[in-house]
This record gives sequence, structure tokens and C-alpha cells, in this order.
Amino acid sequence: MAEIAGTMTGSQLEFARRVDATSTNQRALDQFLRGVERRALRMAELACGSRDDALDVVQDAMCAFVKNYAAKPEPDWAPLFHRVLDSRLNDFHRRRTVRNRWLAVFERKEDDDTLDPIEQAQDLQDPGPLLRLAGSEAGKALDAALKALPLRQRQAFLLRMWEGFDVATTARVMQCSEGSVKTHLSRALAALRRALEDHQ
Amino acid sequence: MNGNHHSNDRPAWINRSTQLLDDSVRDLDAVTLSRLNRARQAALTQQRPHAPRVWLLPAGLASACAMLLAVVVWQPHHRSETQPSAAPVAVDDGDSEETSTEFYQNLEFYAWLDAQNKGGDG
Repeated sequence: MAEIAGTMTGSQLEFARRVDATSTNQRALDQFLRGVERRALRMAELACGSRDDALDVVQDAMCAFVKNYAAKPEPDWAPLFHRVLDSRLNDFHRRRTVRNRWLAVFERKEDDDTLDPIEQAQDLQDPGPLLRLAGSEAGKALDAALKALPLRQRQAFLLRMWEGFDVATTARVMQCSEGSVKTHLSRALAALRRALEDHQ
Repeated sequence: MNGNHHSNDRPAWINRSTQLLDDSVRDLDAVTLSRLNRARQAALTQQRPHAPRVWLLPAGLASACAMLLAVVVWQPHHRSETQPSAAPVAVDDGDSEETSTEFYQNLEFYAWLDAQNKGGDG
């Protein structure tokens, strides 16, 4: 190895060092992306409504993440990746909203600001919905309830409850205040609970 | 952050929800997994470093040498092709026809002069 190094020019040595560092980084990145890709796809699928669109969004998010944040410390990767994904989902949602605006002129949009705070209170003694449903039925009910949520509420629920991010990290990912995260989550939980109970 | 945050301090239906979400991503079909793999590889490929273009310097030098050689080799040919065409131009000075007529008119005189010179030498 020393002999090989002795025959290499400065630029070749520098290139070899870069290749070595990059391959180490790539292995770590590959492992990281393998770990998040399925859940990212599920999130995107819930937001986009189709698997093809979701795959495109996930690939776009992966490329943007690797391009912009691969050099960041590994512990920061998860929030950064989800930030990129969240941004891509927002873009997708915005484009679709504009596209469907003319089709949805007469469609009455449900106002989620009119929730009764008393309804939102959680009763910890009640086992709640889903527990009374069998596996596949429960999965379908949850899928439908999640798809019915507004994007920001669904993201708050998935990032906080599924990904396990704390409020501050979720706020950074969603690029909003911690108070907004709490509000979105509270509304998401209330809406989910109501939708799942209605399903039974 | 591992997705298995089934906590006792939150309602059981939420834990059940996250468990169902985990189940939903566990058994993805082969086509989807393949497309995810391709997406990941596409993202990773753009990060690979490009080799420094050290071959550009010798290639540039070789090109310059080849062009110089071509100019040197081509130039004498060019000259040899242009020189013959230059010669007639040099003699073609407008009154050449008159000069040659005069030459033929005095041809006998030149022959006599030549004979005289030979006789003188002899």
C-alpha cells in the first residue's frame, strides 16, 4: 500500500482519500436510507394518495437529502431527511390543490377550527377505537382516517407518534412553532379518534 | 425515532395505530421494494466523487503537438504547390509576346554571333 501510495501523485492521493471517505459515508447513508425509506413511502402514500406519486416524492427527497445534507453529522440525518420529505409533500399538496381548484369549487371544505375542545379531551380509561377491530379491518380504518386528515395534522401525528420525534424536533421538521405542532397534533388525535369510532 | 414508541402514558388506540403502521410497511411487494432500491441508488450515485481530470493535460499537449506537426508537414507542400504557379507570373510581364517576336526576328543574328564566338575560341 505504501508502495502504491509512493507512486501516486498528489492529486491522485487526494482523490483516493476522497473516495475512501465517500465510500464510508455512502455505506452510512445507504444504511440510513434503508432504515427510513419504507416509513417515508408510507407517509408519502398517505399524502399523495397513490404509490407511484409517493415513490417519486421519496426518490426526490432522497436525492435532495443526499445532495444537501450528506455531510451533516449522522444524528441530524433523520430530522433533516424528514424536513426534506415534509417540504416535498407540501409542494406536492400545493400543486395538487392548484390543479384541483377548478374541480373543487363547489366542494364544501370541512373547517377543522370548529372542533369542540371538550371532544378533544382523551379518556385514558377507554380502550378506544381500533382495539375492537380485527387486524386488516383496523388497518383499513386507520388508513382511511389518516388520509382524511389535513396534511399538517397528519404530518404532526406521524412525526410525533410514529417517528417518535419530540415537539421541538417535529417543529423543526415541519418548519413551524412548537405551539403549532401541539395544535396540529391535538386536532389530529381528536379527528382520528372520531373517525375511527364512526367506522365501527 | 425507531418507530416503536409504544408508550404506556398514551392511549392504547394510539399505540395500536402505530403498531398497524409498522405492520403496513413490513410486507411491501417486490416491485415497490425494487423501486425503493433504485431510488436509493440514484440518490447515492450523485454523491460519488468524480476522478480528477489529470488526463486533460497530456491530451491537450498531444493535440497541440499533432496540430503543430500537421502545420509543419502541410506548409512545404503548400509552398511547392504555389511556386510553379508563381514562375509564369514572373515572366508574364505584359510585353512577353513582343519580346519573343523580337527574339525570333534576330535568331539568325544570334546564330551568326554564336558561330563567331566558336570560331574565335577555335
